[in-house]
Amino acid sequence: MGYEEDLEAYRSQLLQSLSNPLSRSVSGVLDPIQVYINERRVGELEGAGMDATLHVQSLDHIETIQLRTEDGTLLGGLVAPEYGYRTSRVQLSSDAVELCVHNTAQGGSLNAVFVSKPSFWSRIGKTFADVADRLAIRRPDAAIAHSMRTVAFTQALLAVMVVGLVLDRVATWMGPEQMLTSGVQPEALRTVSVTDMEKLEQQVGALARMQEKVGEALQSQQNSMAQLHQTMAKLSSSHESVASRVVMVKEEMEKRQESPGPETDRTTPHPVGRGVVDQEQLEMAIRSLTEDNAKLSREVASLEERNQTLTAKLHTASVNASKAVDPNPERLLATQGDVARKNQSLQVAESRQNSQMQPFLFWVTFSEGTSQESIDQWVHEKKGHKGSINEGWQEVQIVPPAVPPDLFLEQIRGEKIVKAARIRE
Amino acid sequence: MQNTVSKSQVMADHTVTVSRLEEVVSTSDEFDRVVSQALPVLLDRATGYTKRFLRETGQWNDDIEHEKFALRWGSEYLERFLVCGRSEVPCRPLFLFDSLVAKQHSKPEPFCYHPDLLRPLGRFLDGLVARAVVSRDALIALYRHSYGWGAGEVIAVTGLNGLESQRIYKNFRRWRESGWQRTMDEIGLTKTELVELASQQQRHRQRFNGEAERLIRVAQAHYRKSEPDHYPCLSRAQWREMFTQGYGCDYRIWHLALCLDCMQTAWGLGSSGSLTEEKPRLELLVRP
Ligand SMILES: [Zn+2]
Repeated sequence: MGYEEDLEAYRSQLLQSLSNPLSRSVSGVLDPIQVYINERRVGELEGAGMDATLHVQSLDHIETIQLRTEDGTLLGGLVAPEYGYRTSRVQLSSDAVELCVHNTAQGGSLNAVFVSKPSFWSRIGKTFADVADRLAIRRPDAAIAHSMRTVAFTQALLAVMVVGLVLDRVATWMGPEQMLTSGVQPEALRTVSVTDMEKLEQQVGALARMQEKVGEALQSQQNSMAQLHQTMAKLSSSHESVASRVVMVKEEMEKRQESPGPETDRTTPHPVGRGVVDQEQLEMAIRSLTEDNAKLSREVASLEERNQTLTAKLHTASVNASKAVDPNPERLLATQGDVARKNQSLQVAESRQNSQMQPFLFWVTFSEGTSQESIDQWVHEKKGHKGSINEGWQEVQIVPPAVPPDLFLEQIRGEKIVKAARIRE
Repeated sequence: MQNTVSKSQVMADHTVTVSRLEEVVSTSDEFDRVVSQALPVLLDRATGYTKRFLRETGQWNDDIEHEKFALRWGSEYLERFLVCGRSEVPCRPLFLFDSLVAKQHSKPEPFCYHPDLLRPLGRFLDGLVARAVVSRDALIALYRHSYGWGAGEVIAVTGLNGLESQRIYKNFRRWRESGWQRTMDEIGLTKTELVELASQQQRHRQRFNGEAERLIRVAQAHYRKSEPDHYPCLSRAQWREMFTQGYGCDYRIWHLALCLDCMQTAWGLGSSGSLTEEKPRLELLVRP
């Protein structure tokens, strides 16, 4: 086989394995999922377990996260933002892993939660049972039981309401039949049944509306439960991390006694400090959980909402930040003038690259009386994200437009809800 | 003439694909669709960047070994892009891809480069150890390929408990069934090259294993950086402590597979008494 053929065969082989989507789909993950941060292995998620969690705190910034099977198949991952939060859900056939990464000036942290496929309610039950078990070990009179009862009670109440509705409905339908069997004249029967039918229709209409309401209530209850579930998962993960750190600290202490080397000095202070802090946070979290279920749900819901806005806002920023790290991969090459470029189209693409890497920022004011909703809608249509507001000017970040900035601004100004637009603050 | 026509057709298709990659994609599904149609273009692009990086850093030579090396890393970057990029929407895939590759190349040592690691034996060892970083199956298989051990011996040497042992058997099985072949495909070792390796070993056993030991040290030193920060080399007393107290299961598995020296230091601390006689030497196994 010649040089060229050999190389071409290798290239085709690589392309084939890259284009084979089967290699990335997993049927029922039973083995632990390996978690990598910045291409370093940091731990694993027990795939077979229910809602396994992994919490990792790193002194370095987190750049990338990867999930792999034991045979090395890359299941999913994400690129972390320079600063702030980022969440992502990696779907693995019927299961999923939820990733939440947070970068600050002090370092990064990752929370990975394995969400298994069993039904929603059994998952909730299991999570509550798990958390209750764990907490019971720490505090026999765990106040968590109170809020769990509240949840159960609300469910029971809803069930009673549904049963009540069904009975009501049966009774309503029973009405005319009893009239039929009571032996009235056929003439009278018709007149009676016409008016009764109208009544009946009204009753059915009212019933339908009530049922709808109950459906909505059930839905919102379910949402609250989902949010509670998330809080519980977070809580149990921080609990686990405390436990694992305690073990780690113990190991470190033992190691230290054995050999007081400089290696161990480096790591010991962090786990201790963090462990204590986490434990305090956990205590506080438990205390706050004892509050009323409804209140908690509302709080979580609003938090969730804010988080979503934040995530959305950070989304563009992070994409652009990661792009901005090294906007020109040719940087290294630029120093050498005589580099032969073989690929023409690469050249074209790269020359445009610099201008298009940065997020495009502009400021805009809206026509009098424009509602927040239509502003949000407008920003959404632009696939943009809102930034700060300064003296009525709203900052908007978008992926660089295909047209030149001036032309783009002209287009924007032409839009109905826009009063004015400019590039500088 | 016909050749010219088809070439210009290829060029035209190429331009269309590239310009589609420059446009914004808004959803993950759209990302998958656009990118999966452009794999050859993206692979060549990443390979091109890697070649230039090697040239720039004085590590390039015009031969098939270097070409293969660049292709292998190009494909590695592309795989990561396929999986991570879909969470980056909305984005312009081409620019996102470029920035991911650039980010890799801005790291201190983006890959394990050593001229001797480009020849078949070096490629085999480099590929094996590189795979061990991302695959636990390959990691466990390192014990097999380095010392010829079976699952039972690996369990004894690393002093594992019952639960962990089950996993080792699974790792061995998967590696035999598909992992080994997949790794060979990935590093582009042909059947002929594999046969040649085996015959070299038969002819000059000592020299071959000596060379393998020298090369695997180079690869291990590079890829050990993928271990968690808190897994440094330890003294025999420290290893003993870990074995007798029964903690650091992961530590033992990962570090001992990737460190010839510590393997010799910690030799005999595991549960099997019969293994304690002589320190292990590298005896390369080419096949699983
Ligand atoms: Zn070592």
